[in-house]
Amino acid sequence: MPVQGIRSVTSARNGVGAFILQCKRLDFHYCDWAGSSRGMVSFLKHQLNAFAKQNPQIEIRVSPRPHKHPVIKGHYINGREKAVCVRNLEPEQIFQKVNLLKQNSGEKNKRTKKPVTSINDSVRGIWSPYHGGLKSV
Amino acid sequence: MATSIAVSKRPILGLPFLLPCCEPVTLQLRRAQSTYRRTKQRLRIKPDASFGSSTDSTQAHIIYNPPSSAPSAYHTPLKFLPPNDVRRTLRTDTSSSSLNIDALPSVFKSVPEKKYHLTREDVEEIRKLRASDPLVWSRWKLAQRFNCSPLFIAQACEASPQKKEIQRQVLEAVQSRWGAKRRMAREDRELRKESWGRDE
Amino acid sequence: MKRLQLQRWSSSALSSRVRTGSRLHRQIYYSGARFQSTTSNSLQFEDDQSLAGQQPTPPSTNSPFPQFTKHQLPSPPIQAARESAKLAALHARLYLPSRLPLETLARCLVDTSADPNFQFNNNSLSVLGHDLLTNYASEHLVCTYPRLPLTVIFAAMYAYAGPKTLHAMSREWGVEHAAVPGGEVDPGLLQFKRVAPGTNLKEARPLVGTTRPNEDQTTWRKSITSSVVYDNVFGDPELAAPPPAELSDNVYPTNDGINSEPPVTAEVASANFVRAVVGAIYLHAGRQAAKRFFEQHFLSRQLDISKMFNFSQPARDLARLCARENYEAPVAKIISETGRRSRSPVFVVGVFSGRDKLGEGAGASLVEARSRAAVAALKGWYLYSPLEVRVPSAMEEDGAAPWKPVYVDLGEVIV
Repeated sequence: MPVQGIRSVTSARNGVGAFILQCKRLDFHYCDWAGSSRGMVSFLKHQLNAFAKQNPQIEIRVSPRPHKHPVIKGHYINGREKAVCVRNLEPEQIFQKVNLLKQNSGEKNKRTKKPVTSINDSVRGIWSPYHGGLKSV
Repeated sequence: MATSIAVSKRPILGLPFLLPCCEPVTLQLRRAQSTYRRTKQRLRIKPDASFGSSTDSTQAHIIYNPPSSAPSAYHTPLKFLPPNDVRRTLRTDTSSSSLNIDALPSVFKSVPEKKYHLTREDVEEIRKLRASDPLVWSRWKLAQRFNCSPLFIAQACEASPQKKEIQRQVLEAVQSRWGAKRRMAREDRELRKESWGRDE
Repeated sequence: MKRLQLQRWSSSALSSRVRTGSRLHRQIYYSGARFQSTTSNSLQFEDDQSLAGQQPTPPSTNSPFPQFTKHQLPSPPIQAARESAKLAALHARLYLPSRLPLETLARCLVDTSADPNFQFNNNSLSVLGHDLLTNYASEHLVCTYPRLPLTVIFAAMYAYAGPKTLHAMSREWGVEHAAVPGGEVDPGLLQFKRVAPGTNLKEARPLVGTTRPNEDQTTWRKSITSSVVYDNVFGDPELAAPPPAELSDNVYPTNDGINSEPPVTAEVASANFVRAVVGAIYLHAGRQAAKRFFEQHFLSRQLDISKMFNFSQPARDLARLCARENYEAPVAKIISETGRRSRSPVFVVGVFSGRDKLGEGAGASLVEARSRAAVAALKGWYLYSPLEVRVPSAMEEDGAAPWKPVYVDLGEVIV
């Protein structure tokens, strides 16, 4: 057999064709009694409905957590979860936190040094000293 | 630009490392050279000719500056394009024309001329001889006798099972004397050779 | 609106206040006959979030069909699909067409090993989806790279539509697996019977009953052409389809709940799910939607075909190719070199046919550089791609331009 094929797996490029939102679940925990949950309860009553309608791809769970501060937990496709404590926050501030969790990729925060990263090959290839116009000094 | 002119004006004695032999005059000159000129100034190379504003063509033109990298596998060579492909007319293969192909040395020192002089009876003779006494009539001896390559002998006939068994035992005897280092080095060499075909 | 109905957003809310008696009743005691609805009402996303607001259908006591509770069913009932938040979220996450109902998506998530009944598992959908996927992938490959050798086409098909890729895709879609399949499980989870850990898969199931004749002769040579005829699209041996009489047709589950289907790995179950989704899109939303889904989810993934070649004797193959195409015999020439007598020399060797350079390669020895140059030249031949690529399925659209024949090559080099 002159040539054989090497099996491999295609690698995903999220957003090149289809885009999959990485946040798959948001958990809202609140307390009915505690004052730190006042903003959270107001958010759940008045804004969560619209948020859920706008983002049908996120599963939303609401559950009380008595005698504890309110918490929003985001679960991501890569298996990680991120939690944000929203004690004493106003509903608008909570909405910003929810948006932060929704738009998150789920990865650990890291500093991006290069503005663009790509898995495609470079157009001009990798520089090699043995190719191109060889110049004698 | 200024440096290139200076270099071109300089006599060949100013570049002592280009001279084949070392004379006392050049040795003195080499000592006198300053470090800056040797390490920096000389390495300032004039940009590619196609980069500058060409005076002869006032119209729009294409700057051809091939990358200094190994060519991509997705660039089909001009010869491999089908005859009706548009790229045949678009691409003038400037990269190969810059090379003087006839002046390039060949990888092999001598390419044997193919003679095609053996007849059907000769091949029958080769087979008979090899089957009669494989120990005497080895591939090498048969090749000398019929004035062909040992590869052709291998294509024409196969060794008998007894001969193969003997060769296998000889190989095992040799390999049994190898230590761990040599064995591993041989195996690594085989693995490296396999990786050539995968282009790794 | 004073009292907030929390179960609107969550079918699996954990608080005791949410779980009212009627809801518990509805969860556990599901009544009615077991049948797959053929006419599903179209999904509307406006009503999607208020699923639990719909009143459940009152249990019909005088039904002629036998009654089952959820625990007796092998897979979740159809009515549960409308109540699952996970399922609706998955539907929205994949931007599935609204004509594809949630019930079908729930059926896609039930593997054959979870529910052997062919009217409730995803087997039929996944067979259809597999055919669609391999059809689209193969026409894309053959039209884009018309000179690829068959072994590389098999490998590329495996990369585009193979089970490993589909398993990775289902993970990237955020599909979770149910621990054990059952009627009470959330229908948004992928349901399959798992292989016990530590099972040796090859020993457990030796591949017998393939479509290839003389399959017991393991020492016989298997040509690549015969695998076009006998094997599947990835070049693997394929199990022959069972005769149609063996297909089980019992609509009702057995009372002891013993499932005779063998357990499967997560890779097989996820691959079947992804195929079933493609098949379901084709059935509900049509051919164009299925093709768009393929292009967006499968074709957009990155694959470097030039890394899928493994040549054993590239110089010989190149010589045969040049002889076949009536080119001058290839000659290897040194383009440049450095450090010939040193410990680490580098030679750059080009393979020339006449005055044309076919390929070049660099290596630490002359033989290596020549071999790499021959590999580069062969890849240059095999990876030829026409400028405008049009696949045959583009003709299925309305008002398509007349078909122009695509480039067809002689085939790979035969030595």
